[in-house]
Amino acid sequence: MSSKLIYNGQQYTLDEEATLLENLEKQAVSVEFHCRDGHCGACRSQLVSGDVSYTTFPMAYLKDGEVLLCCSKSQKDITINSLS
Amino acid sequence: MAYTTFSTLSNDAMKEPMFFGNPVNVARYDQQKFEVFEKLIEKQLSFFWRPEEIDVSRDRIDFLNLPDHEQHIFISNLKYQTLLDSIQGRSPNMALLPIVSLPELETWIETWSFSETIHSRSYTHILRNLFTDPNEVFEDIVNNDEIQKRATDISFYYDGLIHAVQFMQLHGLEQNDVPYVNLDGKTEKLTLRDIKKKLYLCVCSINALEAIRFYVSFACSFAFAERDLLEGNAKIIKLIARDEALHLNSTQQMLNLWADGKDDPEMAEIAIECFAEGRDIFLKAAEQEKEWAQYLFKDGSMIGLNEEILCQYVEYIANQRMQAIGYEAPFNVKSNPIPWINHWLVSDNVQVAPQEAEISSYLVGQINSTVDSDDLSSFEL
Repeated sequence: MSSKLIYNGQQYTLDEEATLLENLEKQAVSVEFHCRDGHCGACRSQLVSGDVSYTTFPMAYLKDGEVLLCCSKSQKDITINSLS
Repeated sequence: MAYTTFSTLSNDAMKEPMFFGNPVNVARYDQQKFEVFEKLIEKQLSFFWRPEEIDVSRDRIDFLNLPDHEQHIFISNLKYQTLLDSIQGRSPNMALLPIVSLPELETWIETWSFSETIHSRSYTHILRNLFTDPNEVFEDIVNNDEIQKRATDISFYYDGLIHAVQFMQLHGLEQNDVPYVNLDGKTEKLTLRDIKKKLYLCVCSINALEAIRFYVSFACSFAFAERDLLEGNAKIIKLIARDEALHLNSTQQMLNLWADGKDDPEMAEIAIECFAEGRDIFLKAAEQEKEWAQYLFKDGSMIGLNEEILCQYVEYIANQRMQAIGYEAPFNVKSNPIPWINHWLVSDNVQVAPQEAEISSYLVGQINSTVDSDDLSSFEL
């Protein structure tokens, strides 16, 4: 059974090979992004539960419990919320 | 307190604060107190580009065909960007290098400021192509009231910090024999904490500059290119925007590291003390940018953009960027009014091949850079 991605309470199927941002875009969820390279911080979001692995060094300043969607993937169920 | 170019004091840079510790001695990058600055240097170096790589020769025709009010929009933005990068090409060096204490941060500041000089050079590249004599455009930068208003606000915090640091490094902070006379000609009691406060506000002001001041101009350049106009310029602005995102990242890092108490504990106190003032600096910058949009569109809007949309965009990115440094979003704009701009802000992180990027040295002697099917009409198979 494939893993789940829950974003702002809405459940989607998680593609483990794609970044979280790509996952949401594939589901036609509009998420803020700029650089898609981990340095601008536009896609900063709240990690509620789960783990991410980064495809590149996440340069944007992250407070505890925050993740960058553009450069992270997840292998398991994950729950994230937008910041505002 | 005098600055030394190479302190012989054996110190551990891993224990220094970002600023106002011991001066940096050995430029070593094998270890970093804050790894992110090393990553920023690497990223900025990997982004390296030169204005001459981009062919802007077709822009002249586009520019001459623009109606007057759109020419005003285009040229005014170039003037304003020239001002911003004139300041940024020198000021981080002048203001921050004399007080920095971490080797990776010192080199980041130099790399950052250097990349701003590339931006300045690219404005000359663009303007030289548009005008036989761009002198008038450059001269107006110091005469234009709208640009002057912004210049004064930006240089104010830099100049205050530089002045105080110079005094400290020359006279120390006793002020028994030599009182500190500030830039307004008034005697001011100066402590290290006062100077740190000036640093904090200066970084707030730089952060606001990198966060929003460029983006009104960026939006206009990209809006022209969405109409297939002035595309050479837009390619350059795309590269500039990619660099600016890194610069903004670094000032956000500094402000957040201070506020979260991960650097100098005194800076954490100052971050709380100056919370409201930092907010005002940001809001004032946003207000000025909205006024700038009004000035740009005083004689008419351009297709795809008008004053209202541009002001909403300023509010939108101001929200995002204030949240990134711990403030509440002050404006009631929930979604991006010009979502197409995001595609111009993607860092594709790829060095473009010369034939793709139209390096101008490949085009020397070439008069016409467009080919249409008529040009091939004499060919037969």
